[in-house]
Amino acid sequence: MVMRISENVKFNTVVNNLFKTQSSYNELAEKIASLKEINKPSDDPIGMSKVLNLRESAAAVEQYTRNMDACESWLTITESKLTAAGDLLVEAQEIAVSQSTATSSAEARSSEAETVQQLIDEMLSLANSTYDGRYIFSGTKTGETPFSSSERSAAEIGEATAAGGNGSFDGTVSSGGVYAGSVNTTYVVKIVTDDEVLANTTYRVSSDGGKTWSDPPSGDLVDGVPVTLGDGIELTFTEGVTDNLSEDDIFYVQAFAADSSNSSYYNGNGEELSVNIGEGVPFAYSISGEAVFTDKGDGEVEIFKVLNDLKDALEADDQSAIASCIDNLEAASDQISKNISKCGTRMNRLEIAQTNMADMELDLTELTSKIEDADVTELITKFAMKEVVLEASYSVASSIGDLTILDFL
Amino acid sequence: MSGIDALNIAKDSLLAHQTAINLTGTNIANANTAGYSRQRAVFSTLVPSVEISGIERIYDQFLGVQINEQANDLGDSEARKDALERIEMIFDETDGGGVNELLSEFWNAWEDLSLSPSGQAERQALVSVSESLSSAFRSYSDQLSSAQDDANAEIPLLVDQVNDYASQIADINARILQAGTENTDEPGLNSLKDERATLLSGLAEIVDFNSITDSDDSVSVFLSNGMPLVEGGETWELDVVSENHASNPSFYDVVFKDNPDVVINSSITKGKLAASLEIRDTAIEGYMGSLDELATTLVEKVNAQHRQGYDMDQNLGEDFFVFDTGTEEAGYMQVNADIIADINKIAASETVNGDGENAVTMNTIKDELTMSEGNSTISSYYSSLVARIGQDVADASDSVDHHTNLMTQLTNKKESISGVSIDEEMMNLIRYQTGYNASARLFTAAEELANTLMDMVS
Repeated sequence: MVMRISENVKFNTVVNNLFKTQSSYNELAEKIASLKEINKPSDDPIGMSKVLNLRESAAAVEQYTRNMDACESWLTITESKLTAAGDLLVEAQEIAVSQSTATSSAEARSSEAETVQQLIDEMLSLANSTYDGRYIFSGTKTGETPFSSSERSAAEIGEATAAGGNGSFDGTVSSGGVYAGSVNTTYVVKIVTDDEVLANTTYRVSSDGGKTWSDPPSGDLVDGVPVTLGDGIELTFTEGVTDNLSEDDIFYVQAFAADSSNSSYYNGNGEELSVNIGEGVPFAYSISGEAVFTDKGDGEVEIFKVLNDLKDALEADDQSAIASCIDNLEAASDQISKNISKCGTRMNRLEIAQTNMADMELDLTELTSKIEDADVTELITKFAMKEVVLEASYSVASSIGDLTILDFL
Repeated sequence: MSGIDALNIAKDSLLAHQTAINLTGTNIANANTAGYSRQRAVFSTLVPSVEISGIERIYDQFLGVQINEQANDLGDSEARKDALERIEMIFDETDGGGVNELLSEFWNAWEDLSLSPSGQAERQALVSVSESLSSAFRSYSDQLSSAQDDANAEIPLLVDQVNDYASQIADINARILQAGTENTDEPGLNSLKDERATLLSGLAEIVDFNSITDSDDSVSVFLSNGMPLVEGGETWELDVVSENHASNPSFYDVVFKDNPDVVINSSITKGKLAASLEIRDTAIEGYMGSLDELATTLVEKVNAQHRQGYDMDQNLGEDFFVFDTGTEEAGYMQVNADIIADINKIAASETVNGDGENAVTMNTIKDELTMSEGNSTISSYYSSLVARIGQDVADASDSVDHHTNLMTQLTNKKESISGVSIDEEMMNLIRYQTGYNASARLFTAAEELANTLMDMVS
């Protein structure tokens, strides 16, 4: 088909082709400058979406790695403290063995009693170790000094404490009763109604520090009459004069287990702190003082009691009493060893998780790079080719007006 | 048959060829005039000589209609591409630093807090990144709003242009009608028709219309719903009204000036005007809706978890994020001022004992399938929003390329029919010059004959 070529057609064709070539030339230049295939979302929308998701995963991996490093530090410190504690117990055992024989004397025993006191003091210091501002053996009560030097020979119920931001209530709240639980707990009361007199006030009770609540709410408050929250803990409210209880007011009571046959030195609880080391993978990194040093919950030996018994027996120069400490000290030593190996197991698991996480980080980086990064060699080759095409286009363009019929007329 | 006849024959021929040469001159002069259709002198026999029976404008009407259709598509695609590219810049996450990165930092800050629940530095870091996150949501929302306002502001301007084109077309229609009755010079008529064709193309970029050329050479223009814009010399003006939209009273709707109660937005389906309307009412509304859903779900989940935790004074947590003036949209997202003022109010623990476990649980919200009816996480919902915008831009861009190519082809076709070729005109010039020279020789010969006759009788 023969087409009429007008002047405009000639020039338009050349100009359009120039623009097309220049446009792809510029695109390549942009990619080389940024070294990225994707310079805006429209360059590769699906790729962009994948890259964003990969970045999110990479950030999570980074955080999990940080978490694992923190856990590793915590466990390392825990292990070293426990090892030191184990050494102290070995020393105590040696004293017990040597002083339970007939060859020892009252003076020797008295002097060893002082040594044992020093062992107790050091053990106390180890048990009250901190890391990054938190007590490592206090369970989840990380702000609370876990062990006191004095014995608690009967169960104790602490003061009823109001949360700092409670509404203005000018009645009183006091705790009472006899704690019947076997481990230390925290009881919490949450007020449900708002601005009602005691008779109309309803509340919920939590026995696990405020995680889960009783349902339905209770409504049995009477001015001056104690209500039992559970495990023998009583709380007594008195009526406010001008201000009633507000909604979400919080009152909590710490309860400590002990009785005359198994006293307690422990103020923390038996929970373990945990943190996520992977998606949906919680990792318990702390070991509670309850399991390590007491006979409550998971523990079996009240270590401080055992040491104090030894000291008392030495001071009393009671050979048979000293001898009976030996088995207890053995059990205490076993308990420490058990927890040291627990640390070890956890650290092993952590190490595996850390390696896996490092691998994942590499994979993510690689995947992201594959989608996002430009292949420089390929780009530069294409760029050079485009330059040649552009040169040819310019050369053709410059000769377009040269040959017309006017040259021949 | 006398020699005088030959003189007349020669005279007529000379005049005809003169006209043809003049016309060739007009063509050459207008070789670079935009929208010029070449004109051709039509020689026809007027016994015994020749006359120029008409000056033909070489123009393919049907090609004109096709070109207008492409202009319409191209105007639409280009307007969409421009608007969407600006929106893409808001969500440009290629170098990071956007909501995707801030969300990750936000979740990570909670984890750091869980390892040190009473740490002031960790609490402050959490508040800082939360403020940055809220600020990003507000900023994106504002920028989208702003883009919407820009699209809105285009509408009255485009409507004015439509009215302008329409009145010029009607004007030309009137002059053509008048010229038809008065029989004025045809080249003038042809250039009016060229002008009208250009105006119609310009109008086509803005609105989609159907055009009909009447038997009296006037062009009538109708919107896609059949309502007339131009009929002969008459126009129906378009106008804009506002206060009709619940979401924003300053949004314009298009109406006919003489019928302001009937909104005709839906009758304008393609072109720059349609693109502005669609961008404002559908595309951006869609993006804003997704952003709002993201913000409200995030706020809802975080607040619900925060209220279950205990702060450093053993109080239950308050709302962590709030919405300014209670409007639950991304543009109003803020961190609770009470928490900014007192960072101890961050409820990091799940018991009154300060354990930091609530912060751990808070972090796991990022893994929950909370969006898209339980099919995606908060982050992946955002990624797909960015991808959607990118895809819309890519589609508009492809559409522009496609229609540009078609337009180029059609324009070239039109040029090959209506365009001036210097080579051809030069050849025509030679042809007509030859004819003129021959006619002049004929005149000379006829004159000699007549003189011979005169000499015979004198």
